[in-house]
Amino acid sequence: MLINRQLTRCSALLTSLFFVAAGLATAAETAVESAEKEAELIAILQSSAAPGEKAITCKKLTVYGSSKAVPELAKLLADEQLSSWARIPLEAIPGPEADEALRQAAGTLKGNLLIGMLNSIGVRRDAKAVDLLTNRLLDTDAQVASAAAVALGRIGNDASAKTLKQALASSPEGVKSAVAEGCVLCAERLRLEGRDADAVVLYDEVRAAEVPKQRILEATRGAILARHQQGIPLLIEQFRSFDKGLFQIALSTAREFPGSDVDQALATEMARATPDRAVLIVGAMADRPETVVLPAVLKAAGTGAKEVRIAAIKALGRVGNTSCLPSLLDFGIEADADVSLAAKKALFEIPGDNVDKYIVSRLAKAEGKVYPLLLDLVGQRRIEALAALLKAIDNSDAAVRTAALTALGATVPPEKLNVLIKLAVSPKRPEDAEVAQQALRTACVRMPDPEATATELTAALDKASLPTKIALLKILGEVAGTKALHTIGVAAKNSDPQIQDVASELLGNWLTIDCAPVLLDLSKSAPAEKFQIRAMRAYIKVARQFAMSDAERIEMCHKATDACFRTAERKLVIDALRRVPTMETLKMAIKAGQDPELKDDANAVILFIAPTLGGNVDEVRELLATVELSKAKVEIVKAEYGTGSTQKDVADVLRQNFKETALIALPSASYNESFGGDPAPGSEKKLIIQYKLNDVPGEVTLAENALIILPVPKQKK
Amino acid sequence: MSKNITRLHRRQFLKTSLAASTAIMAPTIIPSSALGLDGAVAPSERIVVGGIGIGGRGTYDLGCFLEQADVQFAAVCDVKEKRRTAIKKMTDEKYGNQNCATYRDFRELLDRKDIDAVLIATGPNWHCTAAMQAAKAGKDMYCEKPCTKNIEQSLILKDTIRRTGRVFQAGTQRRNLPHFAFACELARTGKLGKLKKVFAHPAGMQAVTSGWLEAEEVPDKEVVDWDMYLGPAAWRPFNAKLLDGFNFEKGGGLVGGGVLEWGSHCVDLCQWAVGDIPAPVEYDAKKDDQLVARYENGIELIFREKDWLKLGSCPVRFEGETGWVETGDSGKLVLSSPTLLAGRTVAEIPGYPATFHVRDFLDCVKSRSQPKGNADAACNAHIACHAANVALYLGRQVKLDPRTNEFINDDHANRLRSEALREPWRL
Repeated sequence: MLINRQLTRCSALLTSLFFVAAGLATAAETAVESAEKEAELIAILQSSAAPGEKAITCKKLTVYGSSKAVPELAKLLADEQLSSWARIPLEAIPGPEADEALRQAAGTLKGNLLIGMLNSIGVRRDAKAVDLLTNRLLDTDAQVASAAAVALGRIGNDASAKTLKQALASSPEGVKSAVAEGCVLCAERLRLEGRDADAVVLYDEVRAAEVPKQRILEATRGAILARHQQGIPLLIEQFRSFDKGLFQIALSTAREFPGSDVDQALATEMARATPDRAVLIVGAMADRPETVVLPAVLKAAGTGAKEVRIAAIKALGRVGNTSCLPSLLDFGIEADADVSLAAKKALFEIPGDNVDKYIVSRLAKAEGKVYPLLLDLVGQRRIEALAALLKAIDNSDAAVRTAALTALGATVPPEKLNVLIKLAVSPKRPEDAEVAQQALRTACVRMPDPEATATELTAALDKASLPTKIALLKILGEVAGTKALHTIGVAAKNSDPQIQDVASELLGNWLTIDCAPVLLDLSKSAPAEKFQIRAMRAYIKVARQFAMSDAERIEMCHKATDACFRTAERKLVIDALRRVPTMETLKMAIKAGQDPELKDDANAVILFIAPTLGGNVDEVRELLATVELSKAKVEIVKAEYGTGSTQKDVADVLRQNFKETALIALPSASYNESFGGDPAPGSEKKLIIQYKLNDVPGEVTLAENALIILPVPKQKK
Repeated sequence: MSKNITRLHRRQFLKTSLAASTAIMAPTIIPSSALGLDGAVAPSERIVVGGIGIGGRGTYDLGCFLEQADVQFAAVCDVKEKRRTAIKKMTDEKYGNQNCATYRDFRELLDRKDIDAVLIATGPNWHCTAAMQAAKAGKDMYCEKPCTKNIEQSLILKDTIRRTGRVFQAGTQRRNLPHFAFACELARTGKLGKLKKVFAHPAGMQAVTSGWLEAEEVPDKEVVDWDMYLGPAAWRPFNAKLLDGFNFEKGGGLVGGGVLEWGSHCVDLCQWAVGDIPAPVEYDAKKDDQLVARYENGIELIFREKDWLKLGSCPVRFEGETGWVETGDSGKLVLSSPTLLAGRTVAEIPGYPATFHVRDFLDCVKSRSQPKGNADAACNAHIACHAANVALYLGRQVKLDPRTNEFINDDHANRLRSEALREPWRL
């Protein structure tokens, strides 16, 4: 019991630790306060506190501990449960005392606990532990010896390097990998200290040793980098290796190799490599954008194996400049679709304002296949080149005109939108009409001011032919906004049935709620009945689906009810009432149910709404008494009333009051009275009914005195 | 015959079949799919993947891997038997065989020479330690976030990935989603004017601590390997409540959790927006639900809980002298001016699918290039989160030296830069 209490206290301590500690550790905290805290924490470690409490105390000592805490923490190092906790502060507390404690423990412990000490010694880079670690390298436990090797590597001084180098040859199989890791770590440390020659010796020792492949790869990388520019031949040697791992380490090392000499070496190597490798070398070259040998990439892009060409072309998209553009344009019109596609993509991606300027300059005298390609690039790169585009629109080549119109759609500024509208309404060649209209659509949907755009489009409608009118209306539908809505609303009453059709369809798919009054008006005044019906259905859809207040939704349902002239739409309105289960919508459904054609639909909605009206049970009950609900086949399987394990079987009472509908009216509004007493006085009770409605099983849980309406169970699929 | 084939590893199958055809000079029928002639990827070109710790998130990630034609998922390791069994069933059904191997100890999986890459989706407690073990075993890795538990782990992660030459992709999949990429590009390339502030949504700035709870009966090792589950976390008795890997030892005990869970996404995006420079150098105390940090170049990184536009989870906002952009997991972008779009169309991809991020990783496994969520980028973003957590814990400003990643003249803060791992684990 005491332990449990302590554990609970400890858990609470842990979970609230953040807040407590955060409140205490302020900038103004003095050394005295820290010392006081440390003393309190040490006292806990010295007490008979539960292990959990001591564990969290260790964590706190990570911040507040000093050499004074070390002896108590050291006592826990041999404790299998708390050793890992004690090492947390011991790794963090500065000073020789913590080092000494870990070394001492390492001298006596075995197995995992010993490994923990060696790991911590490595983290602290305790140079005084080299002898101890050297001895542990000979431990018969391979895991211990491995931990010692890595710790020596982390210390990374001359003594540990010497030890590790010697051990590389003599260590048993199970330790060799860790010794090699230690050597590489040591070498990395030497490199950090600028002792590259010493590092090279260590790396080369590992490369020559019989150690796992990954260690060789690490040493190879280090050996290349530590040699600086003299490492390039060794790098190239790896590129030529048949070994996939060495080739891969060459690829990654090449990317981090300093200077620019290596770029020429990579270019040379790429040219002589097999295509599958050349593809990867080009990628590495492109990852060195500052120093990449561009002519080599450009050359590879133009000749040779197709996969290398494509890789080089892709690389040009990342690192190329204007000097690459003539070639890329040539590649872009090649017959080979893969090459052409890669080139087009590269031309689109290649960075720099000068690239745009070059494309515009080429446009001035463009002809042949490259002309549409240049126009495509104007569009894709969003280059301002209105004059050139307008000139191209007059070209005799349809491909040029199509590209020019498409580019115009992508680039035309708002103040020149009228130019594109004119081209769409009165194309210079009839066959360009569709492309022009598509370009106009592209332009209109990206215009910053939808109202201004819609105004321009509306003005153009009068002069347009019927097909163009329809196209413009569809564009207006995408532009949206107040002006577009008004224009399309007017069009829906146009004398032409085709325009009526398109406009009412556009209104039916409108995405903002301001279309509701327009739809309601059309439902009464559209020129054809079919469009009135379409408008009414769209209006009901808005009432059902769009976001609005309950009052607004109810008002829309009222208006729809008044305007509907067919049973089908009236049924839709009744169903929409489900969205707003209120006393008012219940009354609306009851009223609608007085029409025999709507009775079943209304009843379903009544039974849906009524149970949700918790606050007005009596009024609801009275209202329902006026309704002739549909007959249903109901079987009460089980019914219990009560709370928890105190339940009363009330199935028979329900069966006796069942009137062949889903609504069960009890003799009294009070469950307690109807069911013959309160089964659990003072407690919140529930009525749980298992039933079958038209042979489909269902279950409902009702709060005390709620209306008893059995929901239609969901059919299992 | 078919049974015999399914027992063979696919590579072995191809080798055996080819050898047989050579030996007897008779036509051997090899499915065109095995040779990659039907658009499928030939076995020798496939990346063989193993999974470590595949729970809910891991199962989603794994689905993204399995979508890729050039992936062969070969083995799963999980300390929970249920998860091992579920993943084996899932992948075996996908491949129509029984080849997915199961392991309780991930070191056995890492010992397999045929496995090229691993998906690490354990709880955060294991992420860094498992990733380091994988790197040292010569595997490339896709590692879920948060990837590290403290500053020191972040630095070791970066160094180890460089040293081993492995490909590392943090599970920061938003780096491969167009709307986040576009927003970051606007900030990074000066389209917003001189960048002034980047905002990240930490979604909680309090530490999540994993307690020493009351001891319960330890389950059989085969059912739940508690010792392996604890892994590098300090020892404590078994308690089933701690088996929620998502929250267990998230970033260590004292300063864990906090801004790290979402920060490893949002702060990572902010880091991308500022050009993946080193983490901020100053972190103020939290005030009014926000914590302000400052980069060396003066840009502010603001961890802010409130006042976000309704753009879904993981929102970020970047403000420059002439414009701003805000985006989130809805896929939508809100810009200070439509001209920032410069006529471009940015694909709106809601949610935060990892498919593109997984593809980026696999491409880099082949090219040996750096994926978007590479170790250097992840290291900087995680350091920013860890340093912010230290400021939260200490309840005051801390200053970080960006060259040493040590707190300046701040012994208490520096002691929170790392935490000992339980024996026998090391990084």
